[in-house]
Amino acid sequence: MKFLNLTLIVSSLLATSMVSPQVLAASEIVVVANLPAPVTMEKHEIRNLFMGGASSEFEPVTLEPGIHERLIFNARVVGLTESRIQSYWAQMRFSGRSKAPVQVSSVEAMKQYLLDNKGSVGYLPADSNVPDTLTVLYTSG
Amino acid sequence: MRRAIFFVSMVVTTMLTPCASMASEDSSIEFSGFARVVAGYLDTDQAYFEGYEDELTFTEKSLVGFQADYAVTDEISLSGQLLLHSDSQHQSGLEWLYLSYDPNPDWQLKVGRLRTPYLKYSDVFDVGYAYPWISPPRQLYGSYLFFPRYEGANLRYRFNIDQVYIDVEAYYGEFSDDIDANGAKFHIDANDMYGGIVEVNYNGWQLRGASFLVDKIRAGAEGIETLTSALDQAGFADLATFFTINGSTEAYIFGLTYDSLDWVLSAEYVDVASTITILAGIENYYFTVGRYFGEYQFLVTYAKANQELTFFENTIPPGVDPRLDQLYFGIEQVISQFPTDELNSVTLTGRWDFRPNMAFKAEVSFLNGYNGKSSMFELKADAEGFDRKAVLYQFGVEWVF
Repeated sequence: MKFLNLTLIVSSLLATSMVSPQVLAASEIVVVANLPAPVTMEKHEIRNLFMGGASSEFEPVTLEPGIHERLIFNARVVGLTESRIQSYWAQMRFSGRSKAPVQVSSVEAMKQYLLDNKGSVGYLPADSNVPDTLTVLYTSG
Repeated sequence: MRRAIFFVSMVVTTMLTPCASMASEDSSIEFSGFARVVAGYLDTDQAYFEGYEDELTFTEKSLVGFQADYAVTDEISLSGQLLLHSDSQHQSGLEWLYLSYDPNPDWQLKVGRLRTPYLKYSDVFDVGYAYPWISPPRQLYGSYLFFPRYEGANLRYRFNIDQVYIDVEAYYGEFSDDIDANGAKFHIDANDMYGGIVEVNYNGWQLRGASFLVDKIRAGAEGIETLTSALDQAGFADLATFFTINGSTEAYIFGLTYDSLDWVLSAEYVDVASTITILAGIENYYFTVGRYFGEYQFLVTYAKANQELTFFENTIPPGVDPRLDQLYFGIEQVISQFPTDELNSVTLTGRWDFRPNMAFKAEVSFLNGYNGKSSMFELKADAEGFDRKAVLYQFGVEWVF
């Protein structure tokens, strides 16, 4: 009988899950890079770079989980949920294939990291002032 | 008991670790790990399934793993993975130990003790956080015909053609260890074990093809050698050959996955053919459909195992001579112990990623086996008239640190 409780838990999870995720909040991001010369990147190239794709030129940098701009980046560019991205990186790390990008704890820290590191690629809120030394590669929305 | 206390203290320590990985000050060495605490209950008193029975058990799948990655140079690194199971029946110890050479981002060569990458999640089978289920479909992931690790080399190359990203791997090595097939213990020596993997990725789609080939397998099981030599001596050479586990095997695997913000689809199919008469052929598959709702995920999985059996006739006449009778019953006993794994199952899974790097999962599997087959169950000694149908309930917490 006690295992009927499991059914109750699953049904309550189902009911809770009907709440829409916050991913679709009305704001956008820009993908920016610290590069010596301007380049263009397609959305699929940015996605591949942030999912461990081969690149000797660019170093991806991302925000920590839970930060609003990361949710937008996940939804607009990567096209996967946060939980799927986390489990993907667990698979990559523990099978020795590749490691997750460097993580920073805030938008300000992201901006600073990008300014300090040549070849780094990250993302900022679309309405933020992008420093002149950074190149905009992609705008969501 | 000491093992259990050590396991619990390890688990508590890893849960309290705040970050996803810990780098030392010079950052040339990194420590990380994974853990799972899983409880399971099988609703029959006639058999075990994956070690579960009609008592709530925490020890079958609970484990903790530690990984250390040491960057020797920019291109060479050394990695080791230590696994500690909560149950002494499962092997604990060094699961991986390899040198990795990455001359550029496209190429990677790994040499040492490695996990065999035949199915999509087989090289992270112990990292439950990496896949959606608590138990990946046993019809494929639990097959004793695949050897979980090897000593050898793995070469990987990545490239893209416009929006299509392709990942190619090849591996070669050998395996020597004991394996458990539904309660029957075998010692396996596999030489010249090799295979390849091609993953083709386009948007959220992935098409995967893999092969797993072993040129020389030799398996020893308790009593088999005694039986085959007795059969030889008694002039039943054909029967002796039938029971000799010595030959080659070929497996081909095809997989299709789709992942998006809302939906996940996953399917894998495996076809195994072997020259070892008694192992026969296998065609197993699963199909999963899942839906994401933010941090919640719900999945339905259908899995099926089909085993192609080689026809066997016990040609020893019973009741003629007591020594022949012994052989006759010896054969009947061995035959009854060999796995006949035909099983279909429907599994419902719920996963809740309640914080980064941690997930709670609940899973119910409806197992439909066949009378007269082992159907991946291990029958209890006093089992009577078990219809090979049961429900397995599991819940657990998975995390990485």
